[in-house]
Amino acid sequence: MQNELRQTCRRLLEEGTVQVVIGYGDGTDGQTFPTFVTRRDDVERLVWNERCYTNLATYLTRPEILALGKAAICVKACDERALVVLEKESQIDRSQLVVIGLACSTDGVKQPKCEACENRTPRWANVTIGDAAGETAKTTADRYAALQAFMQKTPDERMAYWKTELARCVKCYACRQVCPLCYCRQCIADKNRPVVISTSATLKGSFAWQITRAFHLGGRCIGCDECTRVCPAGIDLRLLNLSLARAAEENFNFRAGVDVEAEPIVGAYSERDREEFIR
Amino acid sequence: MSRIGIFICWCGENIARNVDVERAAAEVADLPGVVCSVAYKYMCSDPGQSLMRQKIVSERLTGVVVASCSPHMHLRTFRKAAAMAGLNPYLVEMANIREHCSWVHHDRQQATTKAVELIRMSVAKVRANAALQPISIPITRRALVIGGGVAGIQAALDIADSGREVVLVEREPSIGGKMAGLSETFPTLDCSQCILTPRMVDVGQHPNIRLYTYSEVEGVEGYVGNFKVTVRKKARYVDMDACTGCGQCWNACPSKKNLSEFDYQMGNRTAIYVPFPQAVPARPVIDRDACLHFLKGKCGICAKKCAANAVKFDDQDEVITEEVGAIVVATGFKLYSIDRDQASSKLAGYGEYGYGQYPDVVDALQFERIVSASGPTGGEIRRPSDGQQPKSVVFISCVGSRDNAKGISYCSKICCMYTAKHTMLYKHKVHDGQAHVFYMDIRSGGKNYDEFVRRAIEQDGAHYHRGRVSKITQENGKLIVRGVDTLVGEPLTIEADLVVLASAMQPAGGATELAQKLNVGYDEFGFLSESHPKLRPVETNAAGVFVCGACQGPKDIPESVAQASAAAGKVLVMFSNEQLSREPEVARINETNCAACFACVRACPYNAIERAEVRDRKGQLVKRTARVNPGLCMGCGTCVAICPSKSADLEGFTEQQVYAMVESLV
Repeated sequence: MQNELRQTCRRLLEEGTVQVVIGYGDGTDGQTFPTFVTRRDDVERLVWNERCYTNLATYLTRPEILALGKAAICVKACDERALVVLEKESQIDRSQLVVIGLACSTDGVKQPKCEACENRTPRWANVTIGDAAGETAKTTADRYAALQAFMQKTPDERMAYWKTELARCVKCYACRQVCPLCYCRQCIADKNRPVVISTSATLKGSFAWQITRAFHLGGRCIGCDECTRVCPAGIDLRLLNLSLARAAEENFNFRAGVDVEAEPIVGAYSERDREEFIR
Repeated sequence: MSRIGIFICWCGENIARNVDVERAAAEVADLPGVVCSVAYKYMCSDPGQSLMRQKIVSERLTGVVVASCSPHMHLRTFRKAAAMAGLNPYLVEMANIREHCSWVHHDRQQATTKAVELIRMSVAKVRANAALQPISIPITRRALVIGGGVAGIQAALDIADSGREVVLVEREPSIGGKMAGLSETFPTLDCSQCILTPRMVDVGQHPNIRLYTYSEVEGVEGYVGNFKVTVRKKARYVDMDACTGCGQCWNACPSKKNLSEFDYQMGNRTAIYVPFPQAVPARPVIDRDACLHFLKGKCGICAKKCAANAVKFDDQDEVITEEVGAIVVATGFKLYSIDRDQASSKLAGYGEYGYGQYPDVVDALQFERIVSASGPTGGEIRRPSDGQQPKSVVFISCVGSRDNAKGISYCSKICCMYTAKHTMLYKHKVHDGQAHVFYMDIRSGGKNYDEFVRRAIEQDGAHYHRGRVSKITQENGKLIVRGVDTLVGEPLTIEADLVVLASAMQPAGGATELAQKLNVGYDEFGFLSESHPKLRPVETNAAGVFVCGACQGPKDIPESVAQASAAAGKVLVMFSNEQLSREPEVARINETNCAACFACVRACPYNAIERAEVRDRKGQLVKRTARVNPGLCMGCGTCVAICPSKSADLEGFTEQQVYAMVESLV
């Protein structure tokens, strides 16, 4: 597979179809690092293994990557949903992008999200590399299993949990930097006239930040869990994201990035929208 | 440093009763930036306003807070006064200490404290206010009138007579609307067509009116002063320019048994037809569903007969774009369906009256055609089933109207009058006949209206029974009408030859869809909403869109005409300037920060935000951004709420202002 990937990328670069390939390369400590290949001879640096956690879609909206020219990007089936959202939100032009789909093996990338994986083969890739044997069809309950377990707690217990967890947040904004859908050049957290979110790493500021971040991803988060993976304080941000994803699914029958036709629910209005909550 | 003046109004007793205005004035005088704080009995009065103007000048104020009533009431008043004193009007803010305070609280102590807090918030806001300039937008001084009934005709003629161009769009093949089909009109009994058709001809010949009949408004883009309207001209299969309206075609057409829409299915027409002899334009149209050429592929007699070669079987729908600055909606009404089947599940029909089942149960518009000289019976009163002259006719008013059980709560307003007229016209033509009317109340307010009803009863001998009809059955060729006369207190059964139902008025079909295209509101029944029921009766909440006639609510002819002239007047007021001035309190996008996700584009209810590109001097794309069209923006702030990067802000209500207000409280 890895060879097939390298050959594909070499061909794309040789033919001049793309100027840069966004993929994975070997890093230190057995990790993989995001790698940007612009010369065909460098394709040997590209790897594909179960340590390719990163959702590379986050680099598609970076000005320094855009400056390199037309891109090819390696995505797993879970990462690919970010492309759908980015396209719907006018951040990428799908026709100007070559998507190299990487089909996962049974174990995926051995992240918690892999346990609820529904689909190991990217669906809208231009080129798909590898075959995913034994598809797993997961149910809605599987997707929200972690949240379900958490919601068994009483509201007081949950508040206590978040107070303990968010007390560790140092406002490093790694969650924001890694998120493929946090593409604003100037984040609301950086706004200072007026200050919308307290910038201090106090409990108040951390609550304001994490709740705002989750809300901004409501109906948009595709569940790649990169925020949770990179959090140096080990805060399980996934629970916040899942809660809003479930709200979107239950109230609007909407899941971000699974339907290329569906309009984003944020800002969309339909006469059929539920409105029981208006009293 | 700000120099803010605070002007607290007693509003006579209204505020002073529950708020200690002098104490409030003393307490707010020390707020940062405040240089004067005064209370006065009536701030909105001339002396009150001049007090404010003097202080603006003498204290060199940079901001003003008026603590009084709702800004809806007097914000304009005070802004105008400030402008007269040389202060930018948008540096004036109001604290509502009447509706939000003195009227709703009774504890003087607490109300005063709250008033002080409301004023403190406004002071915090005005310190962050910016001087704004009204927005000027160019306008296209042409109007679109939708609907060619009497209201649309009047509006179009009034605007056109003033020298402005009008585009008049009518969905039927001829203008004239419902009025063209009426017999005689109350309270003068003058012939409806005689008074209407000259107006129709005026429209057809007016150099300033562009008439599109058999056409519908398909889409509306743009904003006040600058609308782009797409009109679909339905294929007529007749070349309007070549045709002379000689009538050879429709006299020769072999497909003769098609129910006439104009006669409400009581008469027949040919497949190529003009709806009625006085139609404007007097040009026929081919009904594709009845024409033998289209049905069977042969015939074409009309084309052979036509000396002008005007029949075009290959005619296609045509889509035209018109640019206009104002739109008048005059789409009129239809009658409520008395049948069991209803368009909306909220409505119930009158199956018990047998409409549709007994041919001699007709609705009021059908009766108009029966009485009309141009109608299917040539003006002789004959009933539809067997053509006999009815000797006993029962008129039932309020069929649908004022009947919550059937889903319509409103009064249709015109039925009492036309029912009285019907009884008269009937008596004038059938001297030995007897008219009976079942009514709930007789509503005959209007000039010479009640006299008219009294004449129907006293001179023409109509029998009025106050009560409802429960059921109509048919026995031996007679309609048995079972009702009650509540004044006598007894059930009443009348054997009738003909029954006329005065069914409720409803907005014409498609009115709500049109309203959605125009962003005009409508009520639960589909009648279009005016901007203010008393003070802005022909304006709508969509700037540049006006309403008149029965699309806004049940109305008779004089009222529709008056309202049409009013709408035309409002259009002409708008057209009296080359530029339109708008309040500058609109949204603005910080284009540097905008991430171009365009959530605001989807969220904007006025379609006021567009996708734009920022390019450098060489034409290279720098970035994409959302951009507000200030002509369309109504300042609702939805974009501000939805923007994830807070790049949208509302002038006059900026986030800084709102945060400052909140911070002043906490």
